[in-house]
Amino acid sequence: MVQTGQASEKGPKKMGINRLKSMYPLRNKVDEAYFKSQQAIRNGKPTAWSMLNWWEGDVIMKSMGVEVVYPENYGAVAAATGVAQKYLDLAETDGFPTHMCGYARTNLGYTYRMMKELGGHVPPEAPMGGMPKPDLLIGSGFGCDARFKWFQALSRYIDAPQWVLELPLIGVAEKQAEGVDDYAINFMVRELRDFVAFLENLLQKKMDWDLLEQNAHYTLEINRVFHEINELRKARPCPMHSSDFWSSVTGCLLMLGDPAEILSLYKDMYQEVKERVDNKVAGIYGEEKFRLVFGELPPWHSLKFFERLAERGWNFVKESQSYQPIRPLDLSAVSDPLEKIARISYQFAHARHAQALNNQIYNPVVEIYLEYVREYQSDGIFLHPLLSCRAASSSLKSIQDQAMKRYSVPSLYVEGDIIDIRLFNPEETMARAEAFEESMTYYYKVRQEQGLAW
Amino acid sequence: MNDKPQGLTAARLIYQDRTNRVMELKAQGRKIMGYMCLYPPVEMMTALGLVPFRIFGRYGEPTSSADTVLTPVVCHFLRSMVDQGMKGNYSFLDGIIGSHTCDIGSVAVHIWKDYIPEPNFVYFIDVPHTDHLPAQEYFKGQILDLKRKMEEFAEQEITDSMLAEAIALHNRQRQLVRELYELRKADPSPLSGTENLEVMVALCSLPVEEGNELLQQVIEEVKERSQEQLDERARVLVWGTVLDNSALLQVIEESGASVVIDDTCVGTRAYWDDVPVGGDPWDALARRNLVDLKCPRTYRQASFGQLKRDYDAELTSRFAYLKSMAEDWKVEGVILQSLKYCDGHGYDVPGIRHYLDTLGIPSIYVEHDYTEGSLAPIHTRIEAFIETIKL
Repeated sequence: MVQTGQASEKGPKKMGINRLKSMYPLRNKVDEAYFKSQQAIRNGKPTAWSMLNWWEGDVIMKSMGVEVVYPENYGAVAAATGVAQKYLDLAETDGFPTHMCGYARTNLGYTYRMMKELGGHVPPEAPMGGMPKPDLLIGSGFGCDARFKWFQALSRYIDAPQWVLELPLIGVAEKQAEGVDDYAINFMVRELRDFVAFLENLLQKKMDWDLLEQNAHYTLEINRVFHEINELRKARPCPMHSSDFWSSVTGCLLMLGDPAEILSLYKDMYQEVKERVDNKVAGIYGEEKFRLVFGELPPWHSLKFFERLAERGWNFVKESQSYQPIRPLDLSAVSDPLEKIARISYQFAHARHAQALNNQIYNPVVEIYLEYVREYQSDGIFLHPLLSCRAASSSLKSIQDQAMKRYSVPSLYVEGDIIDIRLFNPEETMARAEAFEESMTYYYKVRQEQGLAW
Repeated sequence: MNDKPQGLTAARLIYQDRTNRVMELKAQGRKIMGYMCLYPPVEMMTALGLVPFRIFGRYGEPTSSADTVLTPVVCHFLRSMVDQGMKGNYSFLDGIIGSHTCDIGSVAVHIWKDYIPEPNFVYFIDVPHTDHLPAQEYFKGQILDLKRKMEEFAEQEITDSMLAEAIALHNRQRQLVRELYELRKADPSPLSGTENLEVMVALCSLPVEEGNELLQQVIEEVKERSQEQLDERARVLVWGTVLDNSALLQVIEESGASVVIDDTCVGTRAYWDDVPVGGDPWDALARRNLVDLKCPRTYRQASFGQLKRDYDAELTSRFAYLKSMAEDWKVEGVILQSLKYCDGHGYDVPGIRHYLDTLGIPSIYVEHDYTEGSLAPIHTRIEAFIETIKL
């Protein structure tokens, strides 16, 4: 709750989000890597369209010289630039039900336009140079069903082969079974070995195993440093706003650019955040009145909205479990780089199962958010359910309920969508946010009476 | 003289009140094991003397409790199922086995465990998304983990002979169901889709031995029906999401069609393939439930690791069984139906329609939301579709 006299930097009175200086070179490097990748694709390098895969496929593809583009991300770009509707209409006309994922329908319509209407040429209206026809499609079994079914449906328009990366989803209590981790990891390693063989056949080249080992190492290191940065955000005031997290996360989440450079830039970020903690500098200018957790996908098209909240003293201290780095893993005893990759992704999917069981929570996503509330001492949760994204939305009501029951922490529940940006109304939400401040203030007192630490 | 209802009458009574018989059995000391979707192996329940009881929603009843824990965009079947659990209507069960059928189905199991205190035993089995060998072996591991937990629950081991006996009983049920469906090849079909669904729902609500006895009665009754009493109707196949209630089939049949075959999980998907016998039964269960069950939730391709995709070859590889069904049951049209918000089925709709087009079989796609109200707007479309295929 309110921490007075701790949050302002010296100098002229500023309001809003206090962006990290170290974020900019990191973001620029990632952007530069993206455009280099686009150029490489235009020059004929093998290209994959891939789902976000939590390092499972990206590390391998990078080591095989495959450039990766992410249609999920491109869906957000298409929505923000206003071209998505054209693609949604095409997908609907071609028979895809309208209740399905907005990103998927955008991509299906985009591909229809590229392949059926334009003979394989990138649509001229496509923002950021568009996405050229891929050589392969990499689906993921983790996150939601659309993430492999959508690419399967793409075979309607393109003949690129598809691979589905398997990532087990074991239950909270069921993960305590003896030997389950071993056979689950073994399954993943076998799948990854087949994936490498598939790529070698497709690309007619051999895997560079030393490079793969090096990339797996960098993945671990980048995750470790980014995790430590996020640990520092537990400080009061929180030194890093969610906006800086979202601006910098792609360097960790996607294998873009030179990993050594990216790692170095994350280390710079760590230093800056650490200095802020030491000097009690907040991620917002002015007083940190409220500490918020954000869930799940943000309204990418309306991020300025968070500036307005920051001006009111809202500091977003943690966010979006789907994008977080893994907890540090010691894999020095693991010699097989494929096993390292499997263990990294498996850790992402199952890291909180033991503590969830301990807390008698069986929906692992709920436990992750309860941990954020507890450890980041949050005053409230801003929940953003999305009309056409069930995966990101399905647990939010339960998170709202359990956070209140267990920690007397209220939630602001604001509906939106990943594609139909009209559903998120910033003005109406701001009015609700102002009222929500009273709720956060009230429940702060309740927690004090209950003897909770914040 | 046995006054107990027999055959289709008995099936209808069970369909109308699914818990009647299991409550009697429970009073006699039998344990009832609920299960969600088709992936938990019912053979393991039967082997331990448990009565498998498939968990459905309650069609047409507005949800209330579940709305406090699930967002509006969750499939209405899962929502209704959780709602019934939260209202205590499944508290008579002694245990529940859920599975990773789909992403939201997994969340529904987790939420069930978080919010519904009775029964205490709720187990979640992971199901991989692909069906090739490493996935089968992983799934076998999940089944063996479940076995250990079920043995603790029942305080009894599942021996190979117990499992073999249970597999034989369930394979017998599958064979009888296929025999019943065979009768529907007659033109006109002597059994309506509505009646058939009532039998299938009854089978999910009885011990396998009683289900088999019921099926034998139904088969005899249907065989004795006079063909002369039946109207000629357009013959349709119904594909899609779970149908645990006959309302949609009634709409179709009231519109002048006869549902002669289906590709749904309360119908053929559950019974079309036996568990192979003769080898390792655990391998067989894993293979049958992962590879042979044809739910769109699993990723299948024409050949593993293929380097180029051929759309038509892929559709043929995935849906050739629909061609066989259409030919053997003399299908004149296909109604693809899906609950709103079912991603697994939704992505397959254009592909299946394309495949059916290549076969010259007309099709229509309709969406509903587990309420009769949602059937009204599609009634007219179905009528028009049936008119066109009758021409």
